[in-house]
Amino acid sequence: MEQYLEFTGIGKAYPGVQALRDISFRCDGGEVLALLGENGAGKSTLLKILSGDTRPDEGGIIIDGRPQQFSAPYDAIKAGVSVIYQERQLVPAMSVMENIFLGEQPKTSLGTIDKKALRQSTQDIIDKFGLPIRPDELAGRLSVAYQQMVEIMKAYRRNSKIIAFDEPTAPLADAEIAILFDLIRRLKEEGRIVLYVSHRLSEIFRITDKIAVLKDGRFVKYLTTSRTNEQELIQAMVGRDIGDTYANLRRNDKLGDVLLEVCNLETEYLRDVSFTLRRGEVLGLAGLVGAGRTEVARAIFGADAILGGEIRFEGEAIDFSEPKDAIEAGIALCPEDRKDQGLVLWRSIRENITMPVLGRIRKGLFLDRAAEEHLAEEAIAKYAIRTPSINKIVRELSGGNQQKVILGRWTNSKMTTKLLILDEPTKGIDVGTKAEVYQMICDFAGEGFGVIFISSELTEVINVSDRIIVMRNGRVTGDVTRREATEESVLALAMTD
Amino acid sequence: MGNDRSLRRVIKSKNTVLIAILAAVVLMFYLLNSNYLSGDNLRGVMQSMSITGIMAVGAACLLIGGGIDLATSMEALFGGVLCGLLIKAGIPWPLSVLLTLAAGGLIGGAVAYLVAHLGMMPFIASIALSNVIRGVNLVMTNAQNVPVPTEGFWVLGSSNVLNIIPTPFVIMLILLVIYGLVLHKTQFGRNIYLIGGNQFAARLSGLSPKKIRTILYVNNGVLAAFSGIVVASRMHSASPSSLSDSQMDAITAAILGGVSFMGGSGGMGGCLIGILLLNFFNNGLNVLSLESHWQTIAQGALLIAALTMDYFNEKSREKSLKAGAALKQ
Amino acid sequence: MEKQSYMRGVVRSPMFSLLILFAALVIYFSAASKGLFLKPKNLVNILNAMAISALLTQGVSFLMISGKLDLSTGANGTLCGMLLAFLLQHGTPVVIALPVSLALGGVIGLFNSVLVNEINFQPFIATLASTSVFTGFVYVLANKKAIDIKNPVVLWLGKGMIINYIPVSAVMALLLMVVVGVILHKTKFGRQIYLVGGNAKAAMLSGINPKKLSYKLFAICGVFSSLAGITLAARLQSGTIAGVTNARFQGITAAVLGGISFGGGSGGMGGAFVGLLVLSGFNNGMTVVGLNPYWQTVASGLLLLFALALDVFRTRRNAKA
Repeated sequence: MEQYLEFTGIGKAYPGVQALRDISFRCDGGEVLALLGENGAGKSTLLKILSGDTRPDEGGIIIDGRPQQFSAPYDAIKAGVSVIYQERQLVPAMSVMENIFLGEQPKTSLGTIDKKALRQSTQDIIDKFGLPIRPDELAGRLSVAYQQMVEIMKAYRRNSKIIAFDEPTAPLADAEIAILFDLIRRLKEEGRIVLYVSHRLSEIFRITDKIAVLKDGRFVKYLTTSRTNEQELIQAMVGRDIGDTYANLRRNDKLGDVLLEVCNLETEYLRDVSFTLRRGEVLGLAGLVGAGRTEVARAIFGADAILGGEIRFEGEAIDFSEPKDAIEAGIALCPEDRKDQGLVLWRSIRENITMPVLGRIRKGLFLDRAAEEHLAEEAIAKYAIRTPSINKIVRELSGGNQQKVILGRWTNSKMTTKLLILDEPTKGIDVGTKAEVYQMICDFAGEGFGVIFISSELTEVINVSDRIIVMRNGRVTGDVTRREATEESVLALAMTD
Repeated sequence: MGNDRSLRRVIKSKNTVLIAILAAVVLMFYLLNSNYLSGDNLRGVMQSMSITGIMAVGAACLLIGGGIDLATSMEALFGGVLCGLLIKAGIPWPLSVLLTLAAGGLIGGAVAYLVAHLGMMPFIASIALSNVIRGVNLVMTNAQNVPVPTEGFWVLGSSNVLNIIPTPFVIMLILLVIYGLVLHKTQFGRNIYLIGGNQFAARLSGLSPKKIRTILYVNNGVLAAFSGIVVASRMHSASPSSLSDSQMDAITAAILGGVSFMGGSGGMGGCLIGILLLNFFNNGLNVLSLESHWQTIAQGALLIAALTMDYFNEKSREKSLKAGAALKQ
Repeated sequence: MEKQSYMRGVVRSPMFSLLILFAALVIYFSAASKGLFLKPKNLVNILNAMAISALLTQGVSFLMISGKLDLSTGANGTLCGMLLAFLLQHGTPVVIALPVSLALGGVIGLFNSVLVNEINFQPFIATLASTSVFTGFVYVLANKKAIDIKNPVVLWLGKGMIINYIPVSAVMALLLMVVVGVILHKTKFGRQIYLVGGNAKAAMLSGINPKKLSYKLFAICGVFSSLAGITLAARLQSGTIAGVTNARFQGITAAVLGGISFGGGSGGMGGAFVGLLVLSGFNNGMTVVGLNPYWQTVASGLLLLFALALDVFRTRRNAKA
């Protein structure tokens, strides 16, 4: 029998947003289909509909010719759909076997759980995949990669015909990605349908057969992977060519004196890290997830204890006990997770911008409202934040505008910021706004800031930074200029000993 | 080799530590006052622990499933009062008991509605409801005790099994065994751990945390009403206003016994040890004829100690999980 | 046009519906009590009751806006009222006894804060547990009976009247409420409370120390609770064992009614004041119309439930918008 999954005319609206509009495409058994699109293109909404988490307003899903009606995740699972999300769905305090048979453990004739059968069936699946995991092991004790494997085995155990992956490689190291791809190939050989959502174009070329591109909630293109290239994909996603983005950046070429010196720094996570940063320079920190880039930022900012070596800022050794001291000294950190660590979502733009300078906008005992409004207006003008009012709640802004609010916070005229650390500033921002953020980074350098730019996207970190520090396992493995750096050379430094 | 390892596991297990503490507590009070281990006093401890024990069973199940009910004491009083009034109204006592249990379940359902369906914070919602129930209890009885002169009914609380062991204590043990089996051996039991441990995963596995939690609240209501009935049966009368600390005792016992306040872990074995520990501790303070207000303070301190232990347990577990994950990489 | 949408905003605001509710309560109770409800003597009763709840509301509001909570306010206040009576009984001059009793409230707050910040207890359970500890100490101090207070200064605080009609305690509580309102909305300290309540991590990375702030707020809450307990003790002319123990929920009820959400980061004194009006009017009205006190217990439980439901629905609506 022919196996296929078909979306027919799916539409979904949320208050104020048409998230999906008339999405129709088909995916056949034995194929890996990439779902590609910018943030906000509607990929996650589509996955939610597939997993039964949300219901579409219009259209439907057809599996093997039968129309499906999912009203809860369980319906989708029964129909043979497993979605493997970024958020782990494991119960860390339960064993691997209990997790794999979650909710459907084999029973004895008495109605109690049959531990023996449970262990045996789990071992069978593990053997089939050839993984070094024991059924009795606590799921929480496994590495992130193996936790993901457990989830794939769970989908396998359910005999799911359709397995969808939502950015599965985001937390994985390269060797682990290889294991994952082996598993995906195996699923494909068994004739299952695999949906693969990822931002990483290189992976899409490695593992997928077909590509469906979404843009602004619409289906724009259906491509065969072997007959397309990155350029074409990006054009389909963005609707324009961004190849010139980097070439068109107005960069700063006037370097000042040394602002920051990190000498043989040791912390719980870092070993012998050394580099320098000048005023007016953009220093990129490249490396895989977990290489220690964020930890460098944390050490400078005073969040992790310095165990050896030293950090010199404007010539003086620093070791801050809390972020407040770092801010006083002129160091600003834009954290990686905007919503979790950056913004106070339910408060206004004004309040979010003046957060660190409340002490400097006082009139006697009270806050100076006029000065505060002035700072907010200033940031809105400088970064072209799209909002009707400075009193708008930050939660209601788009991701790009939210990021601009954070930048506005750290560069407002009451701040004495000299060093700006940007941790993944383009995460979750659409390609158009990314270009704006790149220009801002260069402008910061032009204003005389030292900028540390941390990013997992190799292309942007190589092309935006003046100099790139490559890290691996808490150590510096390379220090190259933009002219010297190529994606291949930096990747080699980030991955090999 | 295998033996050696299992021995080490026994020594390292949390329950072993608790049993050691229990033994130390018992020994200490015994040395301070030799009446502590007399048959009469032991029977007294068994009597009083059975009430908090029965409540603790319900509270532990709720905690494991990620819920909490701070109206339990009032639900218990309600159970005693209602049962007493029904018997007084001429309804045969077994039927009265059944009706009361059903009513307890309904109140549990009300808590579940507020928490699981309306999405209120369980603490404050159940406290608010407990104020309501307290008022209802006072209205029903006009703040007077309800005497229950029916001898048959006294069996539940006042009799002894084999003429030595108080019946309520045996009932508590039976309940602990039954719930222990349900928690560990059945699908439903594992599902309780699942919703307490990872609600997101539970939902995606097709479980309804709402439904399971509702069952747990109803169950807690039934057990609470039952403990109230047992008290009424023991006292031969139902009071609308005592027992107010019992729910905290029940929660303390469960947490002492290793039921995590964060949900998702613990079991009936630990719960039993927690109940024993708490009651032998309280009784020890009694036997030393310490004044009751010092007991109040000691109980609060014990709960704080139990929670502190829970926190460090949780922390060390996280640490070992992290270490395990790091090793794999 | 501008004005019209402003009016619509006012009409739709939760405060407006609360005021309507308040008006309805006033009309109902006046009618049901044949005008007794609005008699000056009864209004004084309402003001007196309001003074205590207002103090408790203010203390707990600080914490709730910052995303935390204190359930031990009642036991704290009772203990401090008892301590004041105890100290005065033993001949301590009032200028020492009063500050010491207030300071005890602050120390108790700090104790809670240690449980919450250093051992990571949930504020709820931490303060619930510490409640029984403090209540125990009340019994220890009281030695089973209330302690009389005879000091005129303290009595003036609890029973004094300005121009025969306005209780000193109510004036003090409401003045403090204005001060708290100004602190919350106009000062750096107040702003930090909202920011920490909205997102503690972000606040920390912006140079605010949430832990330090939480210590301060627990201490402030403790002092306000203490003041409430002292005021009640002064009014009753004795430190009593019951004290303000059960009034703790009144503080929380008023705050939640007035729009201070459990999630933290929202609400203010304006709303809390309206919440207080509703609460005090409701409680007093039940007495005035002669409702059985047991039913009153039921009704105040229901009012708290109503406030909670209101909070849930407000939060849901915000999340949708």
